[in-house]
Amino acid sequence: MTKKTLATLICGVLFAANVQAKSNDPYESFNRTMYDFNSSIDDYIASPISNGYKFITPQFVQTGVFNFFNNLKGINIVLNDVLQAKFSQSAEDLGRFTLNSTAGLGGFIDVAKHVGLEQNEEDFDQTLAVWGVPQGSYLVLPFMGPNTMRGTPAFAVDAAANPASYASFIAYYVSAPVQFMSAVNARANAEGALKFINEAALDKYVFTRESFLQWRKNLESDGKVSAAIDDDILAEEKTPDLKWRDDSKKFGIAAQSFASVAQKFDCAAQNFEQAGQKIEQLKMGK
Amino acid sequence: MMPVKKFAVIAFSISSLFASSVFAQEESATARQIVDKFQTELVQVMKDGKKLGYDGRYEKLEPAVSNSHDLPKIARIVVGKEWEKLTEEQQKKLTDVFSKLSIASYAHNFKDFSGETFAIDSEEETKMGGVVIHSHLTIPDDKPVKFDYMLKEKGASWRIINIIANGVSDLALKRSEYTAVLQRDGFDALIAKINEKIDNYAKQ
Repeated sequence: MTKKTLATLICGVLFAANVQAKSNDPYESFNRTMYDFNSSIDDYIASPISNGYKFITPQFVQTGVFNFFNNLKGINIVLNDVLQAKFSQSAEDLGRFTLNSTAGLGGFIDVAKHVGLEQNEEDFDQTLAVWGVPQGSYLVLPFMGPNTMRGTPAFAVDAAANPASYASFIAYYVSAPVQFMSAVNARANAEGALKFINEAALDKYVFTRESFLQWRKNLESDGKVSAAIDDDILAEEKTPDLKWRDDSKKFGIAAQSFASVAQKFDCAAQNFEQAGQKIEQLKMGK
Repeated sequence: MMPVKKFAVIAFSISSLFASSVFAQEESATARQIVDKFQTELVQVMKDGKKLGYDGRYEKLEPAVSNSHDLPKIARIVVGKEWEKLTEEQQKKLTDVFSKLSIASYAHNFKDFSGETFAIDSEEETKMGGVVIHSHLTIPDDKPVKFDYMLKEKGASWRIINIIANGVSDLALKRSEYTAVLQRDGFDALIAKINEKIDNYAKQ
């Protein structure tokens, strides 16, 4: 590799890092195009179909269809509970899936909710977050909507763990209606959120991006809202204070780590000491 | 028809509540008291929502929101560093329309009542000297919504500067939007968009 190529590569990496640090949306131009495309699809195809579905389908059927597809996600939820080492939650979710699949007539009735087993939201994107994979840049996918660089491959894993994805293995006349109903039902359920965005957003694209990314962060942290959530925003007003407190927090963490390492050294030293004593005892015995 | 005695008891309770809340505010109010009072007023407006109509809800919520939120501070934060670039007149204009939009948004979104109740769960001090009140809204036959209010001290009392609903920070969301519109389209376009939103809320 020539020096010139190496320099170009280093510059490229630095530039990419800089872009990443600057914004979580370096592909904004592409994303906005995709967002507009998806909005057009929604306006002209998805929304009319969804409205028609809502018009002709009684509410209890809509709820039943939602419950059915929602229950199918149960297997994936249990899988991701285990991958995130949430074993107690995995037992709850497995119980929920089993109960709804049996007493809930194949998932059409959410029996588990009525016995206090609320559904947990887990997916492979959250599992990757728990494993330390960074969220990556925001990405709007055609037809699929908002996602991230980490969420896109994770989405494929989630789809692989959902039985609805395998309907195509049975026959096309089973697969097509199942996928279609799943999509129509998902759109019908998003109606409220889309209406809210239309009413509240000054810039729908930015509104969708920010709320999506914050929502995903919230799922990653299992809904634990930290008091530090506004630090970035308020930092501009009180930078020295924040910095001092951040530093003191870092020192605190570092001190804890040192203490933990020191404790391990102490244990190791004790073990060596005990071993030494035993050797001495053996010598004495001889 | 409501018996006269029952009506009198309710009227007395409301007036006592009002008197005590005014007293609490004049003296000093804790962050928790500010949130609790605001949530009580909000639920009351929801209960009377249909009878009051949009204008009635707006009128009731104007003092409730203004006395519990630090709207001028929120308006300043949502435009970030752009605030310093605005003239004094523009800053005043932005604060004014932003305050109207905030109240209009409440009046539009909290229009009716179907058994919702707020409950405060806990409170937490922030690194920046603020307080976060963790609460949730229980909705019958639906999942509860977490509402986390961040408050900062203002004089002898506290004021809400951010609401985090199910993990989505309103302040962060607005800041991204407002700075994007301001940088791309300019101040007049931002004000026009805000006014358009206020008009749409009033129409629906």
